[in-house]
Parts: sequence; structure tokens; C-alpha cells
Amino acid sequence: MKLIIRLIVIGALTYFLSPFFTWWTAMVVAFLVSYISPSSGLNAFVAGFLGVGLVWMGHAWNIDVLNDSSFSTKVAEIMQVSDPILLVFTTGLIGGLAGGFASLSGTSFRSLFIKPKQRSLYS
Amino acid sequence: MKTFRFVISFSIALAIGIVLNTKIGSIPPLGKFLSPFHGFWQNAENVAIDIESKSVEEISDSVNVYFDELLIPHVFARNEKDLFFTQGYVTAYHRLWQMEFQLYSAAGRLAEILGPKIGNTSLIDVDRKMRRIGLMHGARKSEELFKREEPEVYELIQSYSAGVNAYIKSLSYADLPIEYKLLDYEPEEWTPLKCFLLIANMNNMLSRGERDLEHTNALKKWGREVFEVLYPERPDVVDPVIPIGTEFDFDPIVVEKPDVTFPLYFTDPMIENPDPDNGSNSFVVNGEKTANGRVILANEPDLSLNLPSIWYIVHLNSPAINVMGASLPGGPGVTIGFNDSIAWGNTNAKRDLVDWYYIQFKDDSREEYLYNDNWVPTKKVVEEIKVRGSFSYYDTIIYTHHGPVVYDRNFTSDRSEITNLAMKWIAHDASKEIKALYLGNKAENYNDFAEAFSYFSGPPQNYSFAAVNGDIALWINGKFPVKWEEQGKFLMDGSKIDHEWKAFMPQSHNLHVKNPPQNFVSSANQHAADTLYPYYQYDYNFEYYRGRRINDRLRVMDDVTVKDMMNLQHDNFNYNASEALPMMLDSLDSASFTDREWDYFNKLATWDYFNNPDLQAPTIYEVWWRKLNNKLWDEIDSSEVAVYRPNWYTTVEIMKSGSDFFMIDNQSTSVTESRGDLIRQTFKETIESLEEYLEEEGNSLLWYQYKNTTIRHLLRIKPFNEGKVKIGGNRHIVNAASSSHGPSWRMIVELGDGEVNAWGVYPGSQSGNPGNPTYGHLIDDWASGEYYKLLFERSLSPNHAEVTHSITLNTK
Repeated sequence: MKLIIRLIVIGALTYFLSPFFTWWTAMVVAFLVSYISPSSGLNAFVAGFLGVGLVWMGHAWNIDVLNDSSFSTKVAEIMQVSDPILLVFTTGLIGGLAGGFASLSGTSFRSLFIKPKQRSLYS
Repeated sequence: MKTFRFVISFSIALAIGIVLNTKIGSIPPLGKFLSPFHGFWQNAENVAIDIESKSVEEISDSVNVYFDELLIPHVFARNEKDLFFTQGYVTAYHRLWQMEFQLYSAAGRLAEILGPKIGNTSLIDVDRKMRRIGLMHGARKSEELFKREEPEVYELIQSYSAGVNAYIKSLSYADLPIEYKLLDYEPEEWTPLKCFLLIANMNNMLSRGERDLEHTNALKKWGREVFEVLYPERPDVVDPVIPIGTEFDFDPIVVEKPDVTFPLYFTDPMIENPDPDNGSNSFVVNGEKTANGRVILANEPDLSLNLPSIWYIVHLNSPAINVMGASLPGGPGVTIGFNDSIAWGNTNAKRDLVDWYYIQFKDDSREEYLYNDNWVPTKKVVEEIKVRGSFSYYDTIIYTHHGPVVYDRNFTSDRSEITNLAMKWIAHDASKEIKALYLGNKAENYNDFAEAFSYFSGPPQNYSFAAVNGDIALWINGKFPVKWEEQGKFLMDGSKIDHEWKAFMPQSHNLHVKNPPQNFVSSANQHAADTLYPYYQYDYNFEYYRGRRINDRLRVMDDVTVKDMMNLQHDNFNYNASEALPMMLDSLDSASFTDREWDYFNKLATWDYFNNPDLQAPTIYEVWWRKLNNKLWDEIDSSEVAVYRPNWYTTVEIMKSGSDFFMIDNQSTSVTESRGDLIRQTFKETIESLEEYLEEEGNSLLWYQYKNTTIRHLLRIKPFNEGKVKIGGNRHIVNAASSSHGPSWRMIVELGDGEVNAWGVYPGSQSGNPGNPTYGHLIDDWASGEYYKLLFERSLSPNHAEVTHSITLNTK
């Protein structure tokens, strides 16, 4: 559950803040969110990967549909990609990798300062 | 352990961030480039126009801009400074990357943004050439002259620049044109100097062409007699710009041809000529010739077919000005257009305006050179060529009073016997073209027009004119040196005062004609006047076909309508074929024809010489003519010193004059060929190569498919090109569309009865963004002969039926 919430927070902040700042805003967002809320490394990575990746992919896909893929077809040819839809996926993947590793380093940064809760033997 | 985990994960994140923010080879920074909030996705637009109203500090009153269905901005300002500010602002909105990039090229700064090379082309060498021919040198002088003598016009240039800068400042990375993102750089501040460099760049395209060094090579290699056969100055058929028989009532400045010997050395020019096809057509008919008694002006500049388009169409209105037409992105005002009272067009007035002087330095320090028996000091300029991702390259250029020593020990070809050649060119002098355009934009009658363009030094233009009051006229404007016969046609001796230009023609001696008895004026880059004109006029590249065709037609046309003028702009008559093909067909031996040969022969024999897009004969003729030229001029193509082929007209004359000229023999064979042999051989080869073409390409022989007219993106990025445009014509045809070159703006203006009506079209779009839905949307209509009636009102409102978008620039 926490994963979903973290993912949504990262995604929403990426979506609303990115237009006003540089492209690596998404990385800062993922880093900070994972720094603030405790989680495991894997959990943080997945949240960052999907949070940023899905927003990047979704937004690119939306632009592409509105533009009838006419521009992505040209850019795909320049980048020597066979199909413009691959550009949409690549956009998601690149965003995902950036977000995932930023998120992972956020959580590991947190662990430098904050002691994990003592686990109850019976929990 | 925790620390280790953090260091590793943080390093990976940081590395990803840095790699995705960095251009690697030709791959743009992927994070920046792919981010849907910033990168190329932001250039994929779903609306045609999205410019917004804005408050700016630089204007003193609010300005309204209405965009019509073609996205032409109609700028309504209350004073001229605000008007030109807004022109700069909206032009940058549509064309920022293009206006900047073309001047990076002209300034010799390509390596600064593109790195040391692209493929096998060294951009440092490309930049060095531009620095050495000194475009910036001339631009700086012009700017100084305006500051000194034309402060009012200079202020307007500053306003235009401020408008461009206001737009640049409003941009974030996400808003940048796609080319900046692909190449990963950012726009720099616009300066008035760039507006002057734009004029210098026009000179580079239009007044720099010459063959002086090749002429010296040819003279030395073959002698005078052969030289005259290959490169005659004035054939009998010349139908000049100024009608034959026009009288010249002035006392010319006379320069006696001194007793000169030209230095005869083989040299190798390393700087390419501008495209020899750069040219234009313009023709004007008066009320005697038209159906409704009004005058009609037609103009189209034939230039490289580019996207973003060379021209940007604007309508500029303030209390003292109401002008519309084609502007050059980067320059204030309208270059070719019309206002409430007049219309003007121009074509290049070709003339040899570059001369080369052989310089003798005193010693290796190159601090002094010999001139008029004295040692005269040189000036050295060190040019820094910045190179992206590498160290700067420094090039020292020596200046003499003739001009820059373009070829010297640091820049010379192995094939040259000598070096140290200085370039003399009108574009190195300060000049006032921007003032000419400014006054021309506001001209109300013939006198205003003549006065305005008298300030136009270069590139010299045949300015055609039509007025609401029924006047038509033509002025050949430019700064022309007075030359003795053959002065500057060959390499000259820089130490001899006799070899120099002594004077410039007074402006009033420039050729002109007003309301001639033939009821029309026209120009198409041909010779300027008949031999009665008392000044020596020479160019290696006068046009021999388009002008004759236009005049042939205008002489017989009557009751002319706007539609007739449009049709004449699209005239596909191949004058060259009409003069060469009958001779070629006569030389064939039909007795031995195969069926296939009959088939090809019949297509040509029944052809009426029109290069229409869906005919096959133009394709066959084109291939045959090219193969015949290759065989005929093999001596020239394979020459170890630089020489050049005679023009098409002379080629036909040489072939018709008999077959004893030594170059007709094909060197690569042991027998001696006659003209007929070459024609018969190349006919067979043409059929073979076209059959091969049909098999390989799976294409038809239709002319437009074979010619493949392509409007190319400035960076030659293939997906941004628009190819296989269905248009006829070719070089040397009135409809001058060849594969990558042709009519870049077609304009027709009808004036009379107090009205001005105009039509226009060009192969491109106002938007320069390949991601805009309108990118290149006018190309098909341009090709098929459709024109758009241009919206030209004294006032507009956002509710006007043809206004699709409007903005207001407010004061802050």
C-alpha cells in the first residue's frame, strides 16, 4: 500500500512541478519523497521507477496522440528508431531509470541518519 | 554498510543524471531531450499557433498583431519603433533558430555550435573560408556608418533587435525550437550587427560569383582563341533588361584600358561560388496591356528551396507605413512587397563585383606589400574560431588596401603556382541597404521609389516597380565600379595602380527605364543593356533563356489578367531544348533504330519542349543533354587546373557551329569523334541508363518524379525535408524549380483604380517548426500553381473572418 502511495506522490509532484523547473526535477522529487518516508530499497526504487516513468510515458503518449504522431514519426527516423511508439516507451524507460535510482539513493540517504524502528519479535 | 549503499546508489543516480544531461556524439542529451515536459515532445504541437499576449518594457504603446489563415502576422502599431520591435518579436516566434543559424554560418561560427567536423567535412575549414572572405568585415563597417549618418534608421534596427531579444528572454528550454535541442545549444543575444551581417550574407549569395582565377587558368592553358570560343561575352541573341534602343543621356566616366599584362599563373580557387542558379524573374505590364487597365507586377526570387523558408511574410502598419510582403528573417522591414501606392520586386543584377589581386610581400613577416613602387604596411587580424568540445583555432588574415588576402601561405591549394591573392569586393564597403528598404517600404510614387533604392549598394538588383497611378519602371541599383574592358576578368597585379578600380559609377548613371513604349518591363538576370550603354558590363553567368522567354511572351500577350501573369510564372518552356534538341535528333541514324530506340525517339520528336510535370520527354532530354555535356567537356572536367564548362547557350552554339572544335573529340577513346558520333553514342547511353533507372527505382519516367524537387531542411535532416514535389520546370526555365532550387516566393500585385490587390505563395510555411501541423503546408499549392489572395486591410479586428489568432503586446 505504501508503495502505491509513494508512487502516486512521486508521480503527481513530477507532473505538477516539471513544467516549471528543469527535466531532472523528477529526480529531485523522487529523492526527496524517499528521503522523507521510510521504505526498503526495492520499494523505493520501484516507486521512483514507476512514479516518474509512468508520468513521463503517459504525458509523452498524450502529446503524441494530440499531434497524430506526426512529429514523433520524424524524430523516430532521426533517432533511427523503427516505430514512434518506441519513443514513447523509451521516454518512460529513461524517466523510470532516472526516477528509480534517485529514489533509491533518497532512501539510502535517509538510512544514514535515521535508525530503523526496532522490530518486535512477534510482529 | 549503510554508507556504502548510499554512496553506490547516489553515484549511480548522479551518473545517470549527468549522462542524460550530456550530448554524446550526435545523440542529444537524452534526459533533457526525451522529457515530455521539456524535450522534443514539447515541439509536437496540436494547434497551428500558440503565441500569447504579453507585457513588455521596450514599447511605448500597445501593439496589436492579427494572424490570418496563412499565419501571416498583421502588425498594427502606433509608432515605428514599436512596429519594428514587434516584427522582431513575431519573426523570432516563428523562425528564431533559422535567423540565428544562417548568421552563425555567415559569421564563420559553425564549429562553435557543431564541433570540429560533420562526417568528412571540416567545419573549421568552412568557418575559415567565411572569415577569409570577410563578410563580418563589411557588416561592421556598415553598422558604424549607420551609427554615424543614419541614427534614426539605426534606432529602428535596435528596436527590431530588442524585439528578437524580448522573445528570446521569454523562452525556457522547453520552448526552444527543436534544432537547438537536437544540437544542444541555446540562442544568444541578437544584435543590430546581425542585421547588417544578413545583408552581407545576401551579397555572399548574390554578388560573389565569378570565375576570374579559372579564366586566367584557361587563358594560360589554351590561349586567347580557345578562350573566346568557350567564354564569349555577348552572343547576338541577348535580350537585355533595359529595352534595346533606350537612350542614355549622361556623360559617362571614361576609364582608358591601360597597357596591361595580366599575371599568368595557375591558381586553384578553394572557395566555392554561390549556387550559379541563384536568380529571379520579375515582370510588370502597364494598363495598355491589361484587360482592366490596371498595372500588374510579378516577381519571384529563385533560390535554394529550404525549410524553414527563406522568406517570412508580414504586414506592417503604423501611422506612417502600411506595407506587406516577404521579409528576410533577421532583417527589419519588407524586402519584396507592396504598400498602398506602389509594388516593387527584384532580381539579381549580375555583374563581376569580385576581383583578385596578386600581392607581393616584402618578406616573410608580411608586414609590407608592394604597391605603386612603394612598400605599404599591411594590417593583421587574428580570427578566433571557437570549436565546440575542443580548443579554439586561430587564423591570421592579412588585409591590404584591396581587401583581405584570402589565399596565403596558411590557406592555399597544392595545385596553385603562386599564393597571396587579395580579394576586392563591394561587400567589404560600408553601405545603406537597410535604409533603402526602409524608404522603399514607405515610397508613395516613382520618385520616392527611385530615391529609396538609390541607397541600395549590393547585392545589385534590378528593381521593378508599379504604382497605383499607372506608372511602371525598372532601376538597376547597386554600387558598380567603372571598369575598362576585361578589367577583373582575370587575376590582376596588386602592385600596379593601373589594375585598380578607379571610380564607381554615379548612381544617376545606373540603368533605368520608366513607362517604355513596349508597355512592359522585365528582368531575369540577363545582360543589363545593349552595347550602346557606355559602361563595360561583364559577368560570367548571365542568364540566356528565362529573360528571352518572358519577353517573347510579354510582346505578344494582350488583355493580360492576373491569371495570365500567374501562368507566365509557371511557364515550363524549355528554351534550351528548343534550340538543342532538333540538332540532336537530326544527327541520329534512324535506319538502324531498334524498337526501343524508336520509342524513345518518338517521345522526343513529338515533344513541344514544355517541361510539364507529368511528361516523360523532359526526363529523357535532361539525361541525354547531361550525358552529351559530360562527353563534350571531358577536357574541362579532367583538367589538372581549375577551369569550368561553358554555359548551355554557348555549348549549343559550339555544337551547331561545326564539328571541328578540338574539344568535341572524346579523349578517352582512340578514334576522333565528330559531333554526330557524340550525339549518337549518348542517345544509346541515355536509353540504357533510363532503362536501368526504371528497373532499380521501380519508378516511371515522369519528369517530376525523376527531378524529385525537394524542399530541404537547412540542416539537411531528411525527415524534416519535403520531397517528390509535383512541379514542372527546371533551371533556365521561367518556372525555375530544379531538384533543390527554385521559386522561393511567388508574388503578383495588381494596382489601379485606387486599389492594391496581391496574391502570393511560397514552398513552406510561416511556422519553422517541423512539429507544427502547418509545417510546409503551402508546398503543394505552390507546386500546382495555386496562389492565395493576401489579406491587406488598413485596419483589422480580432473578429475579422480571416483572422484566426490575435495577440496584444502591452507596455509594462
